[in-house]
Amino acid sequence: MSTRFGSLGNLMKKQDLILNAVCLLFATGFVVMALSNVRWAGNFFSIDSLFFTLVSLLLAGIFMVIPLLWAHENGVLKNLFAAEGDDVPAEPVPVHFAGTTKLFLAILGLLLVLTVVEVLLAYIQVPLVLMLTILVGLSLIKAALILAYFMHLRYERMSLVYTLIPMLVICICLLFIFFPDGFRQLGLRVYR
Amino acid sequence: MSTHAHAAEPLVADDWSGGTFPYHIGHRKLGMWLFIVSDALTFSALLIGYSYVRVSSDAWPAPFAFYPSIIFSTVMTLCLLASSFTMVMAVSASARRDRRRARRWIGATMLGGLTFLALHIYEWLHLINDYGLKPFSLPAEWLARWPQASPLFGATFFAITGLHMFHVLTGVIYLGYIALRIRRKTHEDVEISGLYWHFVDLVWMFVFPMIYLLSVDFHPPGH
Repeated sequence: MSTRFGSLGNLMKKQDLILNAVCLLFATGFVVMALSNVRWAGNFFSIDSLFFTLVSLLLAGIFMVIPLLWAHENGVLKNLFAAEGDDVPAEPVPVHFAGTTKLFLAILGLLLVLTVVEVLLAYIQVPLVLMLTILVGLSLIKAALILAYFMHLRYERMSLVYTLIPMLVICICLLFIFFPDGFRQLGLRVYR
Repeated sequence: MSTHAHAAEPLVADDWSGGTFPYHIGHRKLGMWLFIVSDALTFSALLIGYSYVRVSSDAWPAPFAFYPSIIFSTVMTLCLLASSFTMVMAVSASARRDRRRARRWIGATMLGGLTFLALHIYEWLHLINDYGLKPFSLPAEWLARWPQASPLFGATFFAITGLHMFHVLTGVIYLGYIALRIRRKTHEDVEISGLYWHFVDLVWMFVFPMIYLLSVDFHPPGH
Protein backbone atom coordinates (compact mmCIF):
# COMPACT_ATOMS: atom_id res chain seq x y z
CA MET A 1 0.00 0.00 0.00
CA SER A 2 2.70 2.43 1.01
CA THR A 3 4.72 1.75 -2.17
CA ARG A 4 1.65 2.57 -4.22
CA PHE A 5 1.28 5.92 -2.50
CA GLY A 6 5.00 6.43 -2.84
CA SER A 7 4.87 6.02 -6.61
CA LEU A 8 1.83 8.31 -6.70
CA GLY A 9 3.86 10.92 -4.85
CA ASN A 10 6.67 10.53 -7.39
CA LEU A 11 4.21 10.95 -10.24
CA MET A 12 2.80 14.11 -8.64
CA LYS A 13 6.31 15.48 -8.22
CA LYS A 14 6.95 14.92 -11.91
CA GLN A 15 3.66 16.52 -12.82
CA ASP A 16 4.49 19.51 -10.64
CA LEU A 17 7.86 19.83 -12.32
CA ILE A 18 6.38 19.79 -15.83
CA LEU A 19 3.57 22.17 -14.90
CA ASN A 20 5.98 24.62 -13.28
CA ALA A 21 8.36 24.45 -16.24
CA VAL A 22 5.55 25.15 -18.73
CA CYS A 23 4.22 28.03 -16.62
CA LEU A 24 7.67 29.57 -16.21
CA LEU A 25 8.22 29.24 -19.97
CA PHE A 26 4.99 31.10 -20.72
CA ALA A 27 5.70 33.76 -18.10
CA THR A 28 9.20 34.35 -19.52
CA GLY A 29 7.71 34.50 -23.02
CA PHE A 30 5.27 37.24 -22.01
CA VAL A 31 7.99 39.22 -20.23
CA VAL A 32 10.12 38.96 -23.39
CA MET A 33 7.13 40.21 -25.42
CA ALA A 34 6.72 43.20 -23.09
CA LEU A 35 10.45 44.01 -23.23
CA SER A 36 10.59 43.66 -27.03
CA ASN A 37 7.66 46.07 -27.20
CA VAL A 38 9.64 48.60 -25.17
CA ARG A 39 12.57 48.17 -27.57
CA TRP A 40 10.77 48.22 -30.92
CA ALA A 41 7.42 49.94 -30.39
CA GLY A 42 8.68 53.34 -31.55
CA ASN A 43 6.57 55.64 -29.39
CA PHE A 44 6.33 53.71 -26.12
CA PHE A 45 3.93 56.14 -24.44
CA SER A 46 1.01 55.53 -26.75
CA ILE A 47 -2.26 53.91 -25.71
CA ASP A 48 -1.64 50.81 -27.87
CA SER A 49 1.88 50.28 -26.60
CA LEU A 50 0.95 50.77 -22.94
CA PHE A 51 -2.04 48.45 -23.32
CA PHE A 52 0.12 45.78 -24.97
CA THR A 53 2.71 46.05 -22.20
CA LEU A 54 0.06 45.88 -19.49
CA VAL A 55 -1.63 42.82 -20.98
CA SER A 56 1.72 41.03 -21.50
CA LEU A 57 2.81 41.70 -17.92
CA LEU A 58 -0.62 40.69 -16.57
CA LEU A 59 -0.45 37.38 -18.44
CA ALA A 60 3.12 36.84 -17.23
CA GLY A 61 1.90 37.48 -13.68
CA ILE A 62 -0.98 35.02 -14.06
CA PHE A 63 1.39 32.31 -15.31
CA MET A 64 3.71 33.02 -12.37
CA VAL A 65 0.91 32.31 -9.87
CA ILE A 66 1.20 28.52 -10.13
CA PRO A 67 5.00 28.28 -9.61
CA LEU A 68 4.78 30.80 -6.76
CA LEU A 69 1.96 28.87 -5.06
CA TRP A 70 3.99 25.68 -5.50
CA ALA A 71 7.06 27.36 -3.99
CA HIS A 72 4.96 28.66 -1.08
CA GLU A 73 3.42 25.23 -0.46
CA ASN A 74 6.84 23.57 -0.38
CA GLY A 75 8.27 26.10 2.01
CA VAL A 76 10.66 27.64 -0.51
CA LEU A 77 8.85 30.97 -0.36
CA LYS A 78 7.55 32.45 2.86
CA ASN A 79 4.42 34.55 2.76
CA LEU A 80 5.69 38.07 3.39
CA PHE A 81 2.27 39.57 4.02
CA ALA A 82 0.84 37.05 6.46
CA ALA A 83 0.13 38.42 9.92
CA GLU A 84 1.37 36.73 13.06
CA GLY A 85 -0.67 33.73 14.11
CA ASP A 86 -2.00 33.12 10.62
CA ASP A 87 -2.03 29.36 11.14
CA VAL A 88 -4.14 29.36 14.29
CA PRO A 89 -6.81 26.65 13.94
CA ALA A 90 -10.40 27.82 13.59
CA GLU A 91 -12.26 28.38 16.84
CA PRO A 92 -16.00 27.87 17.21
CA VAL A 93 -16.67 31.62 17.42
CA PRO A 94 -14.24 33.60 15.28
CA VAL A 95 -14.06 36.87 17.20
CA HIS A 96 -10.72 38.48 17.61
CA PHE A 97 -9.46 42.01 17.70
CA ALA A 98 -5.95 43.33 17.29
CA GLY A 99 -4.36 46.75 17.45
CA THR A 100 -3.84 49.32 20.15
CA THR A 101 -5.05 52.89 20.52
CA LYS A 102 -1.49 54.01 19.84
CA LEU A 103 -1.43 52.17 16.52
CA PHE A 104 -4.80 53.59 15.45
CA LEU A 105 -3.69 57.11 16.41
CA ALA A 106 -0.54 56.62 14.34
CA ILE A 107 -2.61 55.49 11.34
CA LEU A 108 -4.96 58.46 11.78
CA GLY A 109 -1.94 60.79 11.91
CA LEU A 110 -0.52 59.25 8.73
CA LEU A 111 -3.87 59.64 6.94
CA LEU A 112 -4.07 63.28 8.04
CA VAL A 113 -0.51 63.98 6.85
CA LEU A 114 -1.24 62.41 3.44
CA THR A 115 -4.43 64.49 3.15
CA VAL A 116 -2.54 67.67 3.98
CA VAL A 117 0.09 66.78 1.33
CA GLU A 118 -2.70 66.37 -1.23
CA VAL A 119 -4.22 69.73 -0.36
CA LEU A 120 -0.77 71.34 -0.42
CA LEU A 121 -0.30 70.04 -3.98
CA ALA A 122 -3.51 71.85 -4.94
CA TYR A 123 -2.12 75.00 -3.33
CA ILE A 124 1.22 75.05 -5.16
CA GLN A 125 -0.49 74.46 -8.54
CA VAL A 126 1.10 71.28 -9.93
CA PRO A 127 0.41 70.50 -13.64
CA LEU A 128 -2.76 68.44 -14.12
CA VAL A 129 -1.35 65.08 -15.27
CA LEU A 130 1.41 65.03 -12.63
CA MET A 131 -1.18 66.08 -10.05
CA LEU A 132 -3.50 63.23 -11.09
CA THR A 133 -0.68 60.68 -10.84
CA ILE A 134 0.41 61.81 -7.39
CA LEU A 135 -3.15 62.10 -6.09
CA VAL A 136 -4.14 58.62 -7.25
CA GLY A 137 -0.93 57.20 -5.77
CA LEU A 138 -1.49 58.88 -2.39
CA SER A 139 -5.16 57.87 -2.38
CA LEU A 140 -4.20 54.25 -2.99
CA ILE A 141 -1.82 54.41 -0.03
CA LYS A 142 -4.59 55.89 2.14
CA ALA A 143 -7.06 53.25 0.98
CA ALA A 144 -4.54 50.52 1.79
CA LEU A 145 -4.01 51.95 5.29
CA ILE A 146 -7.76 52.10 5.96
CA LEU A 147 -8.27 48.57 4.61
CA ALA A 148 -5.34 47.07 6.49
CA TYR A 149 -5.74 48.66 9.91
CA PHE A 150 -9.16 50.31 10.32
CA MET A 151 -10.96 47.52 8.47
CA HIS A 152 -8.76 44.96 10.21
CA LEU A 153 -7.81 43.16 7.00
CA ARG A 154 -4.17 42.83 8.03
CA TYR A 155 -5.17 40.60 10.91
CA GLU A 156 -7.61 38.43 8.98
CA ARG A 157 -6.75 35.22 7.20
CA MET A 158 -4.93 35.65 3.92
CA SER A 159 -7.62 33.56 2.21
CA LEU A 160 -10.09 36.42 2.79
CA VAL A 161 -7.68 38.96 1.31
CA TYR A 162 -7.05 36.70 -1.70
CA THR A 163 -10.79 36.35 -2.22
CA LEU A 164 -11.67 40.04 -2.00
CA ILE A 165 -8.82 42.19 -3.27
CA PRO A 166 -7.48 40.68 -6.56
CA MET A 167 -11.01 40.37 -7.96
CA LEU A 168 -11.70 44.02 -7.17
CA VAL A 169 -8.41 45.21 -8.66
CA ILE A 170 -8.86 43.20 -11.87
CA CYS A 171 -12.45 44.42 -12.35
CA ILE A 172 -11.37 48.05 -11.88
CA CYS A 173 -8.50 47.56 -14.35
CA LEU A 174 -10.97 46.13 -16.86
CA LEU A 175 -12.92 49.41 -16.64
CA PHE A 176 -9.83 51.22 -17.99
CA ILE A 177 -10.72 49.78 -21.41
CA PHE A 178 -12.97 52.84 -21.87
CA PHE A 179 -10.14 55.40 -21.83
CA PRO A 180 -8.80 54.83 -25.38
CA ASP A 181 -12.33 55.58 -26.61
CA GLY A 182 -12.42 58.74 -24.50
CA PHE A 183 -9.24 60.06 -26.16
CA ARG A 184 -10.56 59.01 -29.60
CA GLN A 185 -13.75 61.02 -29.01
CA LEU A 186 -11.69 64.09 -28.19
CA GLY A 187 -9.90 63.72 -31.56
CA LEU A 188 -13.18 63.39 -33.45
CA ARG A 189 -14.40 66.93 -32.67
CA VAL A 190 -14.93 69.00 -35.83
CA TYR A 191 -15.29 72.48 -34.37
CA ARG A 192 -11.96 72.65 -32.55
CA MET B 1 -4.24 4.57 5.92
CA SER B 2 -6.42 7.61 5.88
CA THR B 3 -3.50 9.70 7.08
CA HIS B 4 -1.45 8.41 4.15
CA ALA B 5 -4.17 9.34 1.70
CA HIS B 6 -4.34 12.76 3.29
CA ALA B 7 -0.60 13.28 2.94
CA ALA B 8 -0.73 12.31 -0.72
CA GLU B 9 -3.38 14.91 -1.51
CA PRO B 10 -1.99 18.23 -0.25
CA LEU B 11 -4.38 20.24 -2.42
CA VAL B 12 -7.48 19.23 -0.43
CA ALA B 13 -7.63 21.83 2.32
CA ASP B 14 -9.51 20.70 5.40
CA ASP B 15 -10.69 24.28 5.95
CA TRP B 16 -13.04 23.85 3.05
CA SER B 17 -14.48 20.44 3.90
CA GLY B 18 -17.16 21.91 6.14
CA GLY B 19 -17.73 22.39 9.85
CA THR B 20 -15.37 25.36 10.24
CA PHE B 21 -15.19 29.00 9.22
CA PRO B 22 -12.93 28.86 6.18
CA TYR B 23 -12.19 32.60 6.30
CA HIS B 24 -12.12 32.61 10.09
CA ILE B 25 -14.95 35.17 10.13
CA GLY B 26 -18.69 34.74 10.48
CA HIS B 27 -20.99 34.56 7.48
CA ARG B 28 -22.53 37.98 8.16
CA LYS B 29 -19.17 39.69 8.20
CA LEU B 30 -18.26 37.90 4.97
CA GLY B 31 -21.55 39.16 3.54
CA MET B 32 -20.64 42.74 4.45
CA TRP B 33 -17.21 42.31 2.83
CA LEU B 34 -18.81 41.05 -0.38
CA PHE B 35 -21.25 43.97 -0.34
CA ILE B 36 -18.33 46.37 0.15
CA VAL B 37 -16.51 44.89 -2.86
CA SER B 38 -19.58 45.26 -5.07
CA ASP B 39 -20.22 48.79 -3.80
CA ALA B 40 -16.57 49.66 -4.44
CA LEU B 41 -17.13 48.60 -8.04
CA THR B 42 -20.17 50.88 -8.27
CA PHE B 43 -18.09 53.85 -7.14
CA SER B 44 -15.18 52.87 -9.41
CA ALA B 45 -17.56 52.74 -12.37
CA LEU B 46 -18.88 56.21 -11.48
CA LEU B 47 -15.41 57.69 -11.01
CA ILE B 48 -14.16 56.13 -14.25
CA GLY B 49 -17.29 57.37 -16.03
CA TYR B 50 -16.45 60.85 -14.74
CA SER B 51 -12.85 60.50 -15.95
CA TYR B 52 -14.13 59.32 -19.34
CA VAL B 53 -16.36 62.39 -19.72
CA ARG B 54 -13.52 64.64 -18.57
CA VAL B 55 -10.84 63.31 -20.96
CA SER B 56 -13.24 63.37 -23.91
CA SER B 57 -14.28 66.98 -23.28
CA ASP B 58 -12.55 69.99 -24.81
CA ALA B 59 -12.54 71.84 -21.52
CA TRP B 60 -13.60 71.17 -17.98
CA PRO B 61 -14.60 73.84 -15.48
CA ALA B 62 -12.30 74.27 -12.47
CA PRO B 63 -14.64 76.18 -10.16
CA PHE B 64 -13.21 75.42 -6.71
CA ALA B 65 -11.09 78.28 -5.41
CA PHE B 66 -8.46 77.21 -2.86
CA TYR B 67 -10.12 79.42 -0.31
CA PRO B 68 -12.93 78.88 0.66
CA SER B 69 -14.00 75.79 -1.43
CA ILE B 70 -10.99 73.51 -1.02
CA ILE B 71 -10.46 74.43 2.63
CA PHE B 72 -14.16 73.73 3.20
CA SER B 73 -14.01 70.26 1.62
CA THR B 74 -10.74 69.56 3.48
CA VAL B 75 -12.60 70.18 6.74
CA MET B 76 -15.26 67.72 5.53
CA THR B 77 -12.50 65.17 4.86
CA LEU B 78 -11.10 65.69 8.37
CA CYS B 79 -14.59 65.09 9.81
CA LEU B 80 -14.83 61.74 8.03
CA LEU B 81 -11.28 60.71 9.01
CA ALA B 82 -11.93 61.59 12.65
CA SER B 83 -15.22 59.67 12.62
CA SER B 84 -13.40 56.66 11.17
CA PHE B 85 -10.99 56.81 14.10
CA THR B 86 -13.80 57.03 16.66
CA MET B 87 -15.42 54.02 14.97
CA VAL B 88 -12.22 52.01 15.45
CA MET B 89 -12.29 52.99 19.12
CA ALA B 90 -15.94 51.85 19.32
CA VAL B 91 -15.04 48.43 17.88
CA SER B 92 -12.06 48.26 20.24
CA ALA B 93 -14.30 49.04 23.26
CA SER B 94 -16.84 46.49 22.08
CA ALA B 95 -14.10 43.85 21.80
CA ARG B 96 -13.39 44.45 25.52
CA ARG B 97 -17.16 44.01 26.14
CA ASP B 98 -17.31 47.63 27.33
CA ARG B 99 -20.70 48.43 25.78
CA ARG B 100 -21.19 51.82 27.43
CA ARG B 101 -17.98 53.13 25.94
CA ALA B 102 -18.73 51.50 22.61
CA ARG B 103 -22.06 53.33 22.51
CA ARG B 104 -20.36 56.64 23.31
CA TRP B 105 -17.74 56.18 20.60
CA ILE B 106 -20.48 55.25 18.10
CA GLY B 107 -22.27 58.44 19.12
CA ALA B 108 -19.09 60.42 18.36
CA THR B 109 -18.88 58.68 14.99
CA MET B 110 -22.47 59.64 14.17
CA LEU B 111 -21.69 63.22 15.15
CA GLY B 112 -18.76 63.24 12.69
CA GLY B 113 -20.99 61.81 9.97
CA LEU B 114 -23.76 64.34 10.65
CA THR B 115 -21.26 67.24 10.57
CA PHE B 116 -20.01 65.95 7.23
CA LEU B 117 -23.58 65.76 5.92
CA ALA B 118 -24.45 69.27 7.14
CA LEU B 119 -21.32 70.80 5.56
CA HIS B 120 -21.89 68.87 2.33
CA ILE B 121 -25.54 69.97 2.03
CA TYR B 122 -24.47 73.57 2.71
CA GLU B 123 -21.97 73.29 -0.13
CA TRP B 124 -24.56 71.80 -2.51
CA LEU B 125 -27.02 74.60 -1.75
CA HIS B 126 -24.25 77.16 -2.28
CA LEU B 127 -23.47 75.71 -5.72
CA ILE B 128 -27.15 75.40 -6.69
CA ASN B 129 -28.48 78.72 -5.36
CA ASP B 130 -25.52 81.11 -5.53
CA TYR B 131 -23.99 79.85 -8.81
CA GLY B 132 -27.00 78.22 -10.49
CA LEU B 133 -25.23 74.93 -11.23
CA LYS B 134 -27.57 72.33 -12.77
CA PRO B 135 -26.97 68.67 -13.62
CA PHE B 136 -26.96 69.22 -17.40
CA SER B 137 -25.97 72.86 -17.83
CA LEU B 138 -23.29 75.19 -16.52
CA PRO B 139 -23.88 78.66 -15.07
CA ALA B 140 -23.41 81.42 -17.68
CA GLU B 141 -20.61 82.91 -15.57
CA TRP B 142 -18.64 79.64 -15.75
CA LEU B 143 -19.26 79.26 -19.50
CA ALA B 144 -17.78 82.73 -20.01
CA ARG B 145 -14.65 81.74 -18.10
CA TRP B 146 -14.26 78.25 -19.61
CA PRO B 147 -15.63 78.38 -23.15
CA GLN B 148 -16.64 74.99 -24.63
CA ALA B 149 -16.59 73.45 -21.16
CA SER B 150 -18.61 70.26 -20.89
CA PRO B 151 -22.13 70.79 -19.50
CA LEU B 152 -21.83 67.44 -17.73
CA PHE B 153 -19.81 68.86 -14.82
CA GLY B 154 -22.96 69.13 -12.71
CA ALA B 155 -24.12 65.62 -13.63
CA THR B 156 -20.84 63.99 -12.54
CA PHE B 157 -20.52 66.17 -9.44
CA PHE B 158 -24.06 65.64 -8.18
CA ALA B 159 -24.14 61.93 -9.05
CA ILE B 160 -20.89 60.98 -7.34
CA THR B 161 -21.07 63.20 -4.26
CA GLY B 162 -24.83 62.55 -4.02
CA LEU B 163 -24.40 58.79 -3.95
CA HIS B 164 -21.64 59.18 -1.37
CA MET B 165 -23.85 61.46 0.72
CA PHE B 166 -26.59 58.82 0.57
CA HIS B 167 -24.07 56.26 1.85
CA VAL B 168 -23.11 58.54 4.76
CA LEU B 169 -26.79 59.07 5.62
CA THR B 170 -27.43 55.31 5.52
CA GLY B 171 -24.36 54.76 7.67
CA VAL B 172 -25.53 57.25 10.30
CA ILE B 173 -28.95 55.54 10.47
CA TYR B 174 -27.31 52.09 10.64
CA LEU B 175 -24.95 53.21 13.44
CA GLY B 176 -27.85 54.80 15.31
CA TYR B 177 -29.72 51.51 15.21
CA ILE B 178 -26.66 49.61 16.47
CA ALA B 179 -26.06 52.17 19.26
CA LEU B 180 -29.69 52.08 20.40
CA ARG B 181 -29.81 48.31 20.67
CA ILE B 182 -26.18 47.76 21.68
CA ARG B 183 -27.13 45.64 24.71
CA ARG B 184 -28.68 43.04 22.42
CA LYS B 185 -25.94 43.24 19.79
CA THR B 186 -22.84 41.08 19.67
CA HIS B 187 -19.33 42.31 19.05
CA GLU B 188 -19.63 41.06 15.48
CA ASP B 189 -22.58 43.40 14.82
CA VAL B 190 -20.55 46.42 15.94
CA GLU B 191 -17.59 45.25 13.86
CA ILE B 192 -19.75 44.87 10.72
CA SER B 193 -21.21 48.37 11.10
CA GLY B 194 -17.62 49.60 11.53
CA LEU B 195 -16.61 47.94 8.27
CA TYR B 196 -19.40 49.80 6.45
CA TRP B 197 -18.44 53.12 8.01
CA HIS B 198 -14.75 52.73 7.11
CA PHE B 199 -15.75 51.92 3.56
CA VAL B 200 -17.71 55.18 3.31
CA ASP B 201 -14.56 56.96 4.52
CA LEU B 202 -12.42 55.04 2.03
CA VAL B 203 -14.62 56.07 -0.91
CA TRP B 204 -14.30 59.73 0.08
CA MET B 205 -10.50 59.33 -0.03
CA PHE B 206 -10.93 58.92 -3.81
CA VAL B 207 -13.84 61.31 -4.36
CA PHE B 208 -12.14 64.24 -2.63
CA PRO B 209 -8.98 64.34 -4.80
CA MET B 210 -10.69 63.34 -8.04
CA ILE B 211 -13.61 65.79 -7.85
CA TYR B 212 -12.25 68.67 -5.78
CA LEU B 213 -8.46 68.76 -5.93
CA LEU B 214 -8.37 68.21 -9.70
CA SER B 215 -10.73 71.16 -10.26
CA VAL B 216 -8.93 73.86 -8.32
CA ASP B 217 -9.45 77.37 -9.66
CA PHE B 218 -5.92 78.79 -9.81
CA HIS B 219 -7.04 82.31 -10.74
CA PRO B 220 -10.35 83.05 -9.05
CA PRO B 221 -11.98 86.24 -10.41
CA GLY B 222 -11.99 88.14 -7.11
CA HIS B 223 -8.17 88.04 -6.73
